Amino acid sequence: MRKPKLLSVLRITLLWVAAIFVIVPLAWITLASFKTPQELNDPGLVLFTPNFDSWASVLSSGILDAAYRSLVVGLVTVGISIVVGGMGAYAISKYKAGGSVTRFGILAAQVLPPAVLVFPFLTMAYALRLNDTLVPVIFAHLSFVLPVVTWFLIGFFDAVPPALEEQARVDGFSRFRAFVLVVLPQVLPGIGAAAIFGFTLSWNDMFYGLILAPGNAAILPVAISGFNTFRGVQLGAMSAAILIAVVPVVIASFFIQRKLVQGISGGAVKS
Amino acid sequence: MANVTFSKVNKMYGSSRIVSDLDLELPDGSFTVMVGPSGCGKSTSLRMLAGLEPITSGEIKIGERVVTDLEPKDRDIAMVFQNYALYPHLSVRENIAFPLRATKTPRALALKRADEVADSLGLAHLAARKPKDLSGGQQQRVAIGRAIIRQPSVFLFDEPLSNLDAKLRVETRTELLQIQRRLGITSLYVTHDQEEAMTLSDRIIVMREGQIAQQGTPLEVYSRPTSTFVAEFVGSPKMNLIDGGIERGIFTSDSGIRLETQEIGATGLVTLGIRPDDLLISSSPEPTLSLATVELIELLGPRAIVTLRAHDRVLTSVVGAAQLANVREGSIVGLSVRKNSSHLFDQASGSRLP
Repeated sequence: MRKPKLLSVLRITLLWVAAIFVIVPLAWITLASFKTPQELNDPGLVLFTPNFDSWASVLSSGILDAAYRSLVVGLVTVGISIVVGGMGAYAISKYKAGGSVTRFGILAAQVLPPAVLVFPFLTMAYALRLNDTLVPVIFAHLSFVLPVVTWFLIGFFDAVPPALEEQARVDGFSRFRAFVLVVLPQVLPGIGAAAIFGFTLSWNDMFYGLILAPGNAAILPVAISGFNTFRGVQLGAMSAAILIAVVPVVIASFFIQRKLVQGISGGAVKS
Repeated sequence: MANVTFSKVNKMYGSSRIVSDLDLELPDGSFTVMVGPSGCGKSTSLRMLAGLEPITSGEIKIGERVVTDLEPKDRDIAMVFQNYALYPHLSVRENIAFPLRATKTPRALALKRADEVADSLGLAHLAARKPKDLSGGQQQRVAIGRAIIRQPSVFLFDEPLSNLDAKLRVETRTELLQIQRRLGITSLYVTHDQEEAMTLSDRIIVMREGQIAQQGTPLEVYSRPTSTFVAEFVGSPKMNLIDGGIERGIFTSDSGIRLETQEIGATGLVTLGIRPDDLLISSSPEPTLSLATVELIELLGPRAIVTLRAHDRVLTSVVGAAQLANVREGSIVGLSVRKNSSHLFDQASGSRLP
């Protein structure tokens, strides 16, 4: 009887430690975004009057345009990854396409450091006169989002019994319609999870964005790094910008997470 | 409604032959059960008829239509899978109505039909539930409902009862048979359970290694098995098969059991087959009879399965419980064979001697 209690105490303690690791930096950044530069230099300061100068300067700095560009890059990358990766994952799962090597080999590109891949991308972007646009950024993001999404979805397709699809074919549907009407609904929770995961990868990337689109088409992380100026880091403004980057992702995950749980529970809740 | 014809159908996986030269005719409205041990090609044959497995050579016809190269959706069939394959994201009503979506039936009409079918299967109160909230037997009925809503030309069943418990299996079996009789739709049913095969079928097909070992009515197959394989596979408990020699109606086994059988022309080395019901025991044996020791008695109500040992051979007999008055485990009993009930097979080839 004692052991489970000890375990639950341990579990709660660990959860708190983990929560503190996540919450403290976020809280610090949130507070920092409301401080003046002078207040930021005083680590002992606890009570202060909120000041909105950092927010005003961030909002006028074009950070929202950068966020919009990041959103576009993320959505396009994830959209392509889900369609292409979904088909790939289905083929690998059902037809063992490419043999057992593809199943994990698909992640092989992840072994390459991004620094190796970025220069071919940059050269091609220059040749096509697409440098400093979102196009090469999207392609670069596809290089790591697409394999991960595909790999992620293989397991979900594996879990769909082949008899379901066969049943639909016998019930009078073509292969494609059987896939859309019967297989796809079973993997929707997986697709949702893969989409969030892929979007987060894309949204958080700075490296490719910085090299392929450093100027007018800068995406959010690149724009945030712009607050590290030759006159020093503008901590307050940077904190506000980071919040702009983080908060939408947190909110989106929260809502989609609830959807995910609904999906996984077998559609007990009518959609 | 249609009859189904397989002509010289072959199925190879790489170089291994799963089904070879299958010739088969399912008469219109018949209920045929294909039975055999696992790997005998029975499921593959069913899936070839469904269009889920391409055939290597040969031709399959449903009615006058050659369906060999048609997609499953164009074959006008319905199928019940072993795991029922209910669509988890759809309610019972939508599951049953699903095949009607393929025929572009208006949704309201399709759901109305589904409700009628659900009602006829006693599922009306479950219509709004999802499959995961149903018991195995209820899921099974939904699968049957989905199969019958469209009135297909052929019903296919792939071991549909094997996931049910024994009692439910017997009930569902009866119900399935009633539905098939009422609709009169040609049915092919695959199972590894010979008892299910015997009770359900108009015609039974025993498969072995991709070929038909025997086909006919259940009674024909039971009473005149054409080989030792069929003799052993059909009937429960299993037929006793004893190797030995026969001369003028007296059979002597290699181990020394002597039994009187009917007079037939055969002499020489044979395998004698005796159904457990036809192996008689007597507690006060005449001196001419072979003797056996009773090893085990399993009472099944009015009847009992008696396991015997005679000259180091284990034999099984099924007798009326009343006959066991003076018989206990350990008793010595005399053995004899019911008149005109023994089966003789060639020892080398295993095929039936006339």
